[in-house]
Amino acid sequence: MSLALKELRRRPGRFGVATVILTLIAILLMFLGGLLDGLTAGNTGAIRAQQADLIVYSATSQDSLVRSRIEPQQEKRVAAVEGVSEVGELGSVQLGGRIEGKGPRDLVPVVLFGYEAASQGLPEPPTEPGEAWADDTLQAEGVKQGDVIRVGPTRSPVKVTGFVSDTRYAGQSTLWASLETWRRVQNENRPDARVAPGVSQALVVQAPGANAAELATRIDEATGGGTSSLTESEAINALPGVAAQQSVFNQIIGLTVLIAIIVVALFFALITVERIGLYGVLKALGAGSGTLFAGVLLQAVIVTVIACAVGAVAALALDAVIPVGSIPFVASGARLLGSTVFLLVAALVGCAFSLRRVLKVDPAQAIGGGQ
Amino acid sequence: MFLALKEMRRAKVRFGLLISAIGLLVLLILAQQAIQTGLITAFIGAIERQSAPVLVYSVDGQRTLQGSIITPPLEKKIRSTEGIEKSGRIGQGTFTVKVNDDSGNSDAAIIGYTDPALGAPDQLTTGRLPDRPGEAVGSDSDFSLGDRVTVLGPGGQTRGTETIEIVGLAGNAQLQVTPTLFVEWPDYVASVTSANPDAGGVLPSAIGAAPVPGMDPATLAGRINDSSLEADALTRQAAADETPGVAEVRQSFQVIFLLFGLVVPLVTGLFFLIITLQKSASLTLLRAIGARSSLLVRSLMFQVVLVIGGGLAVGIALYTPLSQAQLGDIKLSFDLRAVVLWSVLLLVLGLLSAIVSARRVLKIDPIEATTGEGGR
Repeated sequence: MSLALKELRRRPGRFGVATVILTLIAILLMFLGGLLDGLTAGNTGAIRAQQADLIVYSATSQDSLVRSRIEPQQEKRVAAVEGVSEVGELGSVQLGGRIEGKGPRDLVPVVLFGYEAASQGLPEPPTEPGEAWADDTLQAEGVKQGDVIRVGPTRSPVKVTGFVSDTRYAGQSTLWASLETWRRVQNENRPDARVAPGVSQALVVQAPGANAAELATRIDEATGGGTSSLTESEAINALPGVAAQQSVFNQIIGLTVLIAIIVVALFFALITVERIGLYGVLKALGAGSGTLFAGVLLQAVIVTVIACAVGAVAALALDAVIPVGSIPFVASGARLLGSTVFLLVAALVGCAFSLRRVLKVDPAQAIGGGQ
Repeated sequence: MFLALKEMRRAKVRFGLLISAIGLLVLLILAQQAIQTGLITAFIGAIERQSAPVLVYSVDGQRTLQGSIITPPLEKKIRSTEGIEKSGRIGQGTFTVKVNDDSGNSDAAIIGYTDPALGAPDQLTTGRLPDRPGEAVGSDSDFSLGDRVTVLGPGGQTRGTETIEIVGLAGNAQLQVTPTLFVEWPDYVASVTSANPDAGGVLPSAIGAAPVPGMDPATLAGRINDSSLEADALTRQAAADETPGVAEVRQSFQVIFLLFGLVVPLVTGLFFLIITLQKSASLTLLRAIGARSSLLVRSLMFQVVLVIGGGLAVGIALYTPLSQAQLGDIKLSFDLRAVVLWSVLLLVLGLLSAIVSARRVLKIDPIEATTGEGGR
């Protein structure tokens, strides 16, 4: 161990290139992960903010909020199902928002939600018509409390009463208003998607203590198959592109870890080849194969930890400098830690390829000058 | 060259590992290039494929067909712009449909047009354009000729309205990574009212326009934009490129490509540097017995070319079957331009990365062979 540490201290240059490559791989891994997290957060915030046990769509909506239509009688049937403690309607419309002080063509895409059930992620709906909570990402667009955003081609006014966090949807900022405000804005601006009084797009169901999967089945049975009830995580995965995005990114991340394994294997295999003579002498002096291999492992771990530390700092710096609304990137602690663990495992696996060479070193060759 | 090949033959595992690593990196780069192209095509293919040279959205639509609504006053204003030879309505919606008698439902984006020259696909891979009600052209990765697509109402009922038969197929014609149908305007209106019985009226999502002979589409787009602050006119290609999300996808992938572009030469450079250090004693000896530095450097560069070439061959061999696959709704394709571009780029970067090793070879002093310093 001490030999391995001494070598790292005395000949850092030997490990420099490997550290640089691993650092690049660490940055790549953390950037990919951060990008995935940023995209996911920007797409799913509105659903996560519901903190619902179930979200109920109409059966033929393909679990798409904009295509779903829940009639009042369906809502009554859902509310009557045993185990359901609270049901709240939910509706949404995506429109362009005109912000005071901006040019006539300088619109901000927003999703206006109508809701009636407060949660830990959302306060009580505004009581006054035309008022809404705004996602705090709109502050980057210059929106302040009390401002009026005019949405849609009919310029429906929506007054911002305050801000909420982490409620973005489909990569867009959101406004959270009462159901009446949503219906008015929807019908004024999207005649093709007009909704009648009492009609909503989805139901947010709270059912503390209930088995969500069983409850979903009971709700769908109670509505005669007219609904599709999903748990919150199922609803998130059903959002357009979210599951595909995660699958593609995770495949790329997996392959990147594989590359890291190969880089570490390659580097330490070469280092081991270089040290065969030295290992022979050390073995002749009584050092065990385990001790020698532990030294290699230690070096790999240290190089990887340095690479990950630099990668994490780079990811955090990137997160800090990226302007809001450009690249969706989030450098979360869990992601950085997860990437570090992946790379450490990759380093250990990569090193394992050198184990055979270390075990094969014959001390007799060192004594006899066989090298 | 003889020496270089002999060394590679004797150290198969070492060079094999490096070739495999580069091959995997090449595969990753090409696969991501294919995913980027496939994703963007699936996202905006229908915009690129539709035939109108100029698309006019409402400013509120934020350059998406889904978000844009053309009000009657705006439509009138657009149509009266000087320089328009003809114009037509284009509508778009995403619906839940049943294809043939499949048990499951699926999504379909339906694009309706009033003039086939302003909204229908500009090319078909097979079949024909609709010429009677209830017919459609479908995206060829999702539909087959003769398929029957039924638009479902909110409760799963079809309300006796929309069953559409596929009479033509168009390539790269998806919108929002969704199976896409191109239909005549009345069928689009019927689809909207079938899906939403409360619909108050069906307005166009955009207006397709063609300029008078002699005027280019960009000029017409400028004129339309000058005529109304509510209109957002774009040429067909600009409408595709400026669809929200496309630039962000490209930017994100470019950062990834840049990082990969750095990793490949670094891996190669590191490998050859270590190899050069390991065999410095032999290289010194070769120099002492008369081998020229240039011969040793050429030998090194030859190995670099072989290793990168081998890596490229492995990567491209793995990429070829992968590029024929379909990732969910995203159809991948073999991109020859990307293959050539990355091959040249990685070869050049690989050779550049070996310069450090080459400099070490050039610095070898043959006299060290007699003092025993060559191995240090």
